[in-house]
Formats: sequence, C-alpha cells, structure tokens
Amino acid sequence: MSLWSLSVGASARVSSVTGGAGNVAAQRLIDIGFRKGQPVSCLLQPGFGAPRVFALGNATYSLDKETADLVILTHDTPS
Amino acid sequence: MKNVLLVGAPNSGKSALFNRLTGLQHKVANYPGITIDVGSGALRSDTRAQVWDFPGTYSLNAISGEEEVAIDALRSALADDRPAVVAMVLDATRLEKGLTYCLQVAREAARSKKPFLVLLNMMDILEHNELALDLDGLRASLGVPVLPVSARTGDGVEAAEAALLSTRAAQSPWADTPDALIEGSAQQIADRFVPQGELLVRRQAKIDNWLLGTASGGVAFVVIMTLFFQAIFTWSAPLMDGVEAFVLGLGAWLVPLVPEGVFADFFEDAVFGGLGAFLVFVPQIFVLTLIIGALEDSGYLARAALICHRPLSYFGLSGKSFVPLLSGVACAIPAIYAARTMSSRQERLMTYVAIPLMPCSARLPVYALLITVLIPDTTVFGGLVGWQGLVMSSIYFFGIVSALLVASVASRLGESESRKQAFILELPAYRTPNILPIIHASVNRSGHFIQKAGSIIFTVTVVVWFLGYFPNGGEDLSTSWLATLGTWIQPVFEPLGLDWRYGVAILASFLAREVFVGTLGTIFGIENADDDPAPLAERITESGLTAASGAALVVFFTIALQCVSTVALLARESKSTGFAMRLLLGYLLLAWIGAFAVHGVVSMF
Repeated sequence: MSLWSLSVGASARVSSVTGGAGNVAAQRLIDIGFRKGQPVSCLLQPGFGAPRVFALGNATYSLDKETADLVILTHDTPS
Repeated sequence: MKNVLLVGAPNSGKSALFNRLTGLQHKVANYPGITIDVGSGALRSDTRAQVWDFPGTYSLNAISGEEEVAIDALRSALADDRPAVVAMVLDATRLEKGLTYCLQVAREAARSKKPFLVLLNMMDILEHNELALDLDGLRASLGVPVLPVSARTGDGVEAAEAALLSTRAAQSPWADTPDALIEGSAQQIADRFVPQGELLVRRQAKIDNWLLGTASGGVAFVVIMTLFFQAIFTWSAPLMDGVEAFVLGLGAWLVPLVPEGVFADFFEDAVFGGLGAFLVFVPQIFVLTLIIGALEDSGYLARAALICHRPLSYFGLSGKSFVPLLSGVACAIPAIYAARTMSSRQERLMTYVAIPLMPCSARLPVYALLITVLIPDTTVFGGLVGWQGLVMSSIYFFGIVSALLVASVASRLGESESRKQAFILELPAYRTPNILPIIHASVNRSGHFIQKAGSIIFTVTVVVWFLGYFPNGGEDLSTSWLATLGTWIQPVFEPLGLDWRYGVAILASFLAREVFVGTLGTIFGIENADDDPAPLAERITESGLTAASGAALVVFFTIALQCVSTVALLARESKSTGFAMRLLLGYLLLAWIGAFAVHGVVSMF
C-alpha cells in the first residue's frame, strides 16, 4: 500500500521509499524523515486530485500522487 | 573578521534569527525556501563578525539547480580559510525534519576544522504548548553545543551571540561518519528527542479542514484572492494617484524655473513625465509585497499553492506560480517580484515566461480604444450583455489562455527538471503575521525597484523623448526622428494593414503600453486622448482603420512584450539579460505572426 492510498484519519508505518538511487524525490522524502518504521498519517484529501496532506512527527507535508506513491506503508498500524 | 554561517532547513526561522542577530530587516517569511540569495550582515553585538544567511535546504543532496547553488555556496564558505563558526538552526517543534541536514553539515564542518553549534529555535512555541525537550540529552547525543532560542521573542539570542563569538566553540565529532550512519543517527535522535504529542499538528489540521476542504477551501480561496485583488487595484489606487499628482506638481513647480525651450520641454516631458511613468508603480509594488508577505507569514500561501498545483501542473507550471500569475493581471512588475517566493529556478523561469502574457491593466486603455473603434455599442439578451464588454472579456480570456499555453510549450521544450518537479511542500504552522519585518521588506522591495529598474526605464524614456523631440523641437511628431524610424519600420507593419502612424505609436508604447493611446492622440491631433478616447476613436474610424487591421492590433498588443520596465526587471530577476531579450524578441515575433494570421482571416469576411 502506498502513502497516497492512506485514507483520511488513518495511520500506518513507513516500510520503504522506492524510486531507486538517483531519484531526487525519494532522496528528499528520506531526508525529511520518511524512513522505515516511522508513523505517518493522512490529515486531508483536498478534492480534484490536489496534493494530499500528511503528518510525519510534528511536521505536515503536502505531496502529490507521484511523490506519495514512492512511500510504501506496512499494515502495522501504529498505536 | 569572524564569519558566522547560518544554515538550516526551510521554515526553521533561520532568516528571523538572522534579523535578531544582525538587527537587519532581512526578508523573512513563513514559507519554505524563501531565502534565495545569501544574505549577510554584521553581528549586532560585535560588528567585526559577519553573519551569512544561507538558503534553507533539507539536505546536502540537492534536488534542484537552485539547491545545488545554495549547497555549493555553503561548501565554498566551509572551504574558506578565514575563521568561521557554523550555526545550524533547528525548529524545536519539528526537530526531525532538520536532523539529517544537521549531521551532514556537522560532518562537513568537522572536516573543514570549523566549530559547529546548534541554535534550537521556536522554543517559545514548545513552552507555550507545555511540551518538553531534553536539552542535555540532545547535547550529549549531538556532541555539540545546543542553545535554546526564540527568534520571535528574542529569548536566548544574547547567549547565542556569546556562543558564536566564543573561541571555545566545539568541533563536531561527526567527521568520519558515513552517510548510512548519518541517516540512522538522525532517526535515533529524532525518536528519542522529538517532543511527543500531536498538539501542534492537530491544531493546524483543524484550520486546514476549513481552508483546504473541497467546498469551504474553494470559498475561502476565492474570498482571500478577491481581497488580494482589491488590495492591488483599490487600496493602492489612492497612493498611485498621490504619487502621480506629487510628480506632476513637482514638475509644475520646477519646470517654470527652467528657461523656456528644449530644457524646459526635456524636464517636463522626459524627466517628470518619465519619473511619473515608473514611480506610479511603486505604491502597487509596496501594497502587493505587503499582502503577499502577510499571506506567506500567516502560512496561507503554502495552502494556496497546494490548491492550485493540480490545474497549473497541466501547463508545466506549479501551484507556487499562482500568486505571480494572479498579480500579473494587475501589472507584470509586482508579478515578477512575487515569483521570488518560488524556490526552484526552473519553476520561476516558466512563471516569468507566462507573466508577460497575462492581461495587465496597462493594456486596458489600448483595448478600450480599439473596441470603441471596432465594436458597435449594442447589447444582447435584453440589454443585459453588451458586445463591447463581451469582446473585452474575450480578449482577457485569450491573454490568460495564451499565457498558459506558451508556458506549457516552453516547459516541454525546456529542461526535464522543469517538466516534472516533485511536489513536496511543508505546510508551515498558522500564525499571526509578524508585520514589522514585512513592512521593512516591502519598503526595501520598493526602493530596489526605484534604484534598479528605474534607472533603465528612465534612460529609455529619455532616448524615446529625444527621438520624438528632434529635429523640429517637438513641434510636429510626424516629422521627428521617431516618425522617420516609424517610416523605416513601416514595411514590418504594412502586412498588418497599418501605416507609419501606428508604427510610431507601437514604438512609443514600448515605454508603457498605455502610451499607445496618447501617441495616437498626438498624431491624430486629439488632446487628452488618455482621459477620453472617444474623439480619437472617431478620428481613427474616419481614417479608415479596417476591422482586420484593428483585430491584428488587438492580437499584437495581447502577445507583444511592450514594456521596458518588465524587460528590465525580467533581466534582473532572472539574472540573465539573454533570457529577457529572448522573451522580448520571441513575443514580438509571435505577436506579429498572430496579428498577421488574424488580419488574413478577418480580411476574408
């Protein structure tokens, strides 16, 4: 399951960030904290395919579909 | 002299801290990636120390050309032999986002034998929300001094200044740490020390539910943007009128002191006329910078970028292009300044490409004149809709569509980076705008416009005046050097069915588009055509301007980049005269081809 498919209010943990070496978006996601085991939740899904809003720790990020799809989640829901 | 290298993640409050440390009102905004140039200023407590504010980035691994420039600048500063201390600004409320970058820079600083310390900013917000952070534990884990500060309240800044000047500042212990361990350590430190409790996120999410909700977000967006437009058009109008009246009044007072003749004419038309032509934009730039600054600082601008990202991405633009394009409907000058908030150079260039096509207010008098000439003043739908108004709306719509289409084509022809940039935008916390630095930034921006763009605009004004005034002392524009030039370029406009008079008016309109109306008025012998274009429209109709040529003129004005101020500012802001010249020539060519095509089509009917 990718981060984009996380429904509003739901939480999960990051399993991996795909895209391979040299993928700048993947590298940036890792830099800002999308790392294995980190809890992430979806705060908002604005309409019309707009980028969605996710909480990672105390920070809030807006990611478009292509970028959010790089983040793979585990089914292990954080407490 | 000692250097203080201030680095940190976007939106960590680094520029606000820079202001505190230097007393300078450096541009500060609550928007990721706002610092584009490396700012500098003397340390307030010891002016022998120079503080350098490096552009914010999340990592030493650049993901855009802009970040690469910023990181190269930091590496050069670290490699410099002069004594320097590296100060990493971390947002205490969002510690995790800056830790990887912190450790990467700590490693580079250690390798360069530069002392390193951490300034833990926004401690006031933590305290306000009764959230705790183990400072001693963080110091021990990072192995470097960690000083709690608040750029907003000034708490801890004195202690930070003392630490920056201390000769005992520590070398970081990360010199030999490999990348993988840096990432792992950043994660461990984040897990251990990030303040727990999602209070800040929850509070922000409540407001976001309103401002980004599908229905409520749309309504809020329209309301905020309507107010924004009102500010540019309505609030700045009295100030613009005031500036114009002041320059005219000054001219009326000073010109009689100069002996009559060429000098008096020069001062009246070129100096005061020219001054008025560009100074009138200053209030608009001030108001626009003020409003955009307040929107940025409140945290809303990042949300506006999110809302607009999807539709604009179809045209190779980003959500962050929205505000500059919107400003372009008023005037390209403040629009170009507004694009400074975009962190990616490629995205900025694509926005610069689109801005000149947005239907700016200077085109309005030209369209009004040509519509009066070409379109009968009749109505449809029981008098509810006038043909002239309908045509005016269509011309505006044509301008906006042209801007988006040209941006779309340019982005596809450009570098791959501009075609598909990952959209990763940190949404800053909502807060009350800190108004004083915003006012200072607005004043600085206005002064910058007067100083830089003004000199170029004024020079060109003088040249055009000179060509129009000589050799007959301003007696008759039709025998001036400008008219001679108009005759030379007549072959260019003949295929559009336009004679030398329109050629001269088009040439003069490169000062500012609205000059077209006044120049045609002078040529056709109609005074005050700017204020009342009806007699001029009548004279133009009598002179036999065909519908095909009129339509060609409309298309030409919709596309051509006829504004010295815009070209000068594009060259300056893009840091490339070549880019501005290519836009000028490209749009001229496109305007001519479009006008020629429309002339041909309309002539068939």
